[in-house]
Amino acid sequence: MMRRALRPSRRWIAVGILTALGWTAAKVSVPLLAQRAIDEGIDPYDGDSLLRWTLVIGAVTLVVAVFTAFRRYAAFAISLRAETDLRRQLFAHLQRLHFAYHDRAQTGELMSRANTDLRQIQLFLVFVPIAGANLVMILGVAGVLLSINATLALLALAPLPLLNLAATAFSRRMGPQSADLQRRLAGVSGVVEESLSGIRVVKGFGAEGLQDDKLRDAAADVEERALEIARLRAGFNPLMELLPTLGLVIVLWFGGREVLDGRLSVGELVAFNFYILQLIFPLRMTAFLVAQASRASASAARVHEVLATAPLITDRPGAGPIPDGPGEVRFEGVTFAYEPGATVLRELDLVVPAGESVALVGSTGAGKSTVARLIARFYDVDGGQVVLDGVDVRDIRLDDLRRAVGIVFEDTFLFSDTVRANIALADPGAPAEAVEEAARLAGAADFIEALPAGYDTVLGEQGFSLSGGQRQRVAIARAILADPRVLVLDDATSSVDPTKEHEIRDALEEVMAGRTTIVIAHRAATVALADRVVLLDGGRVAATGTHEELLASSPRYREVLAQGEQRTGVGTAP
Amino acid sequence: MRIPDATDVDLSSTERRHIIRRTWQLLRPHRRGLVAIAVLVVLQAGGMVAGPALVRYGIDAGVRPRDLDALNRAGLLFVLAAVVAYGSGRLAIRAVARVGEAFLRELRERVFSHQLALSMEFFDRNRTGTLVARMTADIEALQELVGQGLTMFVVNSLLLTGAVVVMVGMSWQLALITLLVVPLVAKATSWFRRESNKAYLDLRESIGSNLSTIQEGLAGVRVVQAFNQEDAVVERFHGTNERLFSAHMRTERIAARYFPAIELAQGLSIALVLGLGGYLSAQGAVTVGTVAAYVLYLQNLFEPIQQLSQLFNQLQASAASLHKLYGLLDERVAVAERPGAVDLPARGRLEVADVSFAYGAGPPVLEGVSLVVEPGERVALVGPTGAGKSTLAKLMARSYDPTRGSVRYAGIDLRDATLSSLRRRIVVVPQEGFLFSGTIRANLLIGRPGATDADVAQAIDRLGLRVRFDAFPGGLDAEVRERGANFSAGERQLVSLVRAALADPGVIVLDEATSSLDPGTELVVERALERLMEGRTVVVIAHRLSTAARADRVAVVDGGRLAEHGTHADLMARGGAYARLFASWAAGVDRSEAPFDDGARPDA
Repeated sequence: MMRRALRPSRRWIAVGILTALGWTAAKVSVPLLAQRAIDEGIDPYDGDSLLRWTLVIGAVTLVVAVFTAFRRYAAFAISLRAETDLRRQLFAHLQRLHFAYHDRAQTGELMSRANTDLRQIQLFLVFVPIAGANLVMILGVAGVLLSINATLALLALAPLPLLNLAATAFSRRMGPQSADLQRRLAGVSGVVEESLSGIRVVKGFGAEGLQDDKLRDAAADVEERALEIARLRAGFNPLMELLPTLGLVIVLWFGGREVLDGRLSVGELVAFNFYILQLIFPLRMTAFLVAQASRASASAARVHEVLATAPLITDRPGAGPIPDGPGEVRFEGVTFAYEPGATVLRELDLVVPAGESVALVGSTGAGKSTVARLIARFYDVDGGQVVLDGVDVRDIRLDDLRRAVGIVFEDTFLFSDTVRANIALADPGAPAEAVEEAARLAGAADFIEALPAGYDTVLGEQGFSLSGGQRQRVAIARAILADPRVLVLDDATSSVDPTKEHEIRDALEEVMAGRTTIVIAHRAATVALADRVVLLDGGRVAATGTHEELLASSPRYREVLAQGEQRTGVGTAP
Repeated sequence: MRIPDATDVDLSSTERRHIIRRTWQLLRPHRRGLVAIAVLVVLQAGGMVAGPALVRYGIDAGVRPRDLDALNRAGLLFVLAAVVAYGSGRLAIRAVARVGEAFLRELRERVFSHQLALSMEFFDRNRTGTLVARMTADIEALQELVGQGLTMFVVNSLLLTGAVVVMVGMSWQLALITLLVVPLVAKATSWFRRESNKAYLDLRESIGSNLSTIQEGLAGVRVVQAFNQEDAVVERFHGTNERLFSAHMRTERIAARYFPAIELAQGLSIALVLGLGGYLSAQGAVTVGTVAAYVLYLQNLFEPIQQLSQLFNQLQASAASLHKLYGLLDERVAVAERPGAVDLPARGRLEVADVSFAYGAGPPVLEGVSLVVEPGERVALVGPTGAGKSTLAKLMARSYDPTRGSVRYAGIDLRDATLSSLRRRIVVVPQEGFLFSGTIRANLLIGRPGATDADVAQAIDRLGLRVRFDAFPGGLDAEVRERGANFSAGERQLVSLVRAALADPGVIVLDEATSSLDPGTELVVERALERLMEGRTVVVIAHRLSTAARADRVAVVDGGRLAEHGTHADLMARGGAYARLFASWAAGVDRSEAPFDDGARPDA
């Protein structure tokens, strides 16, 4: 996965490697140059030589700076490109995963994969080239020091691996601690969040004291963990200073003796100091990389898990275009369960003749919405088949099928975009008249025209918010504009104020005329719109006929309808 | 005053002084800890500054004159300095954490309990999200400062100052040369801070819009698939995703200029020190040891300078957070208990006398409303949305105080009643049951803290809910997750009703539900509600005319005034506003009874 993500950045990777090597060479040479300046220019003094070495150091420094810039930029260009591409891939994949996947997945979980997990991968990738160069540098410095004075080099470098070990141990112990601190902070915000959003209840019952106590506990939890973390930090941060300083002490003390004994020059002594300081950062960095590698691989596994899930609802080999037809829908012995063992439809046989409207009625869980979802093939049946104009829906290309079936869900979803774009979802290029006509038929034109910017009013979090009933009417307009062969209204007017529903009903009659329509509804008035009513019970058709016939003949129908009325308002009074 | 929002605030110097004064007040109890911290950081910085100076001593007094004793002395002192820096550094981090974390805990407690004490009027003016951010984002910014930045900031400042002083003391000429670089670094750093701040704001916005595109894509995935719009949505996401990439790269371009510049400055300053130092040492003006010490100081100083500039940003952000937090603490508590407040009796008549009300400086919502509700009477408040019926109900429970006139219970002005008795006698039952995390029992006990299990059982039985409550997994000890997410809307409502029953109030102010529950539970809720209201005074904000029709009396609120009141039959006979409302409803709906104002609430 990561290899594929890195492919587009080949050029930057080459730049990164080259500049990293150049950077390392230049960086390692500076202390050596300083040593020459001291030994040949200062002690004993030689003005020309000193000037020459000084200028060389200046020039090399410039080279180092240029390489630093490219090295850093290349590392970020590579890793951010990979992160961006992976995120797009993830998003595109999620858009194509089947309903059943999204039914089970939690939005927050998926969000954190697209955000935090990809971030962790990026953080790892960015340090790979940098850490590679650092490793080369560590080896180079060690080689140079050993060649100058092996004993001093071994002694002075001795404390430095401890730096790496300490940093690794620290990151490892710090990880769970800071994760736990985050959890405890979330605990605090949980108490705050619920207390403030439930402030009416808190104040209504004078429960301020209770919530205060909860917060006190949560805040004390945070303090406890934060102090634990401070203890860890206190053990580590000063050590990061101490270990290199010990190296410097050894250089001064032992190296000084070496100078006294004539085995080392003063310039070399200074160069040793210089090198020790130069090594601190690379050593810390490799430790960080080790810790980040394990975080990134856990993240990569989580991202991979999503990408490896194959979309279940795809075009079968040999799926063809949708045949011309009037829009006849047929369920033939359809059996379906969302989860094994919990069968929703049992060998359901149902025919909706072309051009006819059918109301599906049934109590909660009777399978009404499932019927709606199977027609558009949001799920595949477990047994039997769903047939549209004589063809099994699984043999129709998905694009064609979804274009032919227009569905309005009960919980409407509007995008943070203009009202116009929301209605013209299926056909973004639709002319203004078509959009307005669809809105009129959905009984939405009046309130849309009254919005601050009419059809161009932006909806959503940062925009205008509509009432539930208004949202449903926009969603109906969206389906009308798509001009589907089969229209499915899944409880699509449940939030519409009944005093206004009759306006939509008149309009809907116009839309439904001559179009195969399946209406799922609770209100008797809406049910009565349909030519025929099908009563579903226990995943099967329990009765069918006109509204009046069923009212007269089926006690179960009257019962279910009464529940529906209950839901929409009768008798909820003191 | 509105609490300043999440946008960063530029602080004036008076505000800054105010923040420092307030912080000092809060820190005063920790004086001893602060003194210890001061001593420790000075020791730490001193130990760190001493190192290069000791290298100089070792070279000049030991190596060059070939004096082994001096070299040994230098080595020993160097070890000592390193150990002092290490030990005091360790202790300083712990000491800062002890004081800082205690300060944060106290701040959290103080801000939170102050927030809870503020009146409803305050919560109307400020969005919940903003208030939550005070307790989370703002305090967490401080937490980060205390946890990582503060010690480093102080130590680095001392280190820098100390090193500069020592360097000047060693050789003013070299110091002068080195300090040539400092304005360059300072200028580059301030450029970097300005540019990266701008780029960072842009980046933050891009991250936000990218996240919301993802969220929308996930929430709307079913509609997207139903309308074949997968490609279009992915394409749109591609746009925001690439914008995010560009925003990231912009910050990197800035960094790619700044960090090499610093590295260059550092390298050049070392070259200068070597070149000029070599020349000066030949003149006898400086020693070789001094040159070596300078090289070490320069290698050590640039990191603190860079860190300081980043820490400075953090410090500014923290000051802005503190400013917002102190602003919140300064918010006056509007509905408070008067000295000498009295307890309300169990029963009494509820009297609204010539009440006017406006939210803040807004237009009047109620004007001259008078209404008497006798003990045990049920009054329905009806009227179009925005007419003021909810506000009237809230005044009756003293969620607000009237601007003019008074609300009295059993003859006592609510403003003269103790808050605890007020909350016992007059209970508001909101549209939706709200549960807190914890257990079902804890949620019920909010109604009457200290109630026994027998009291709770009795309240449940009185509402006929024994079967439903026994069915909770674990019964009364059933675990409730945040906001009661693991219970259905109907179950939450049932708990809320028992909670009210446990409080055993004289008056219930009920906001009738407009959204529906599942049919099975709806009936149970109805019956429980009916039992809860038995024998109590009830004021119901009615959204359905059937509710109004069954009340003892109906009060029609329109345009902030009491348009008419009387029994349903009287008002129908009178042919006024109520009769007109009823008629328009009857014409609009043929079969089912319905709400007559758009009960649907605007969604998020």
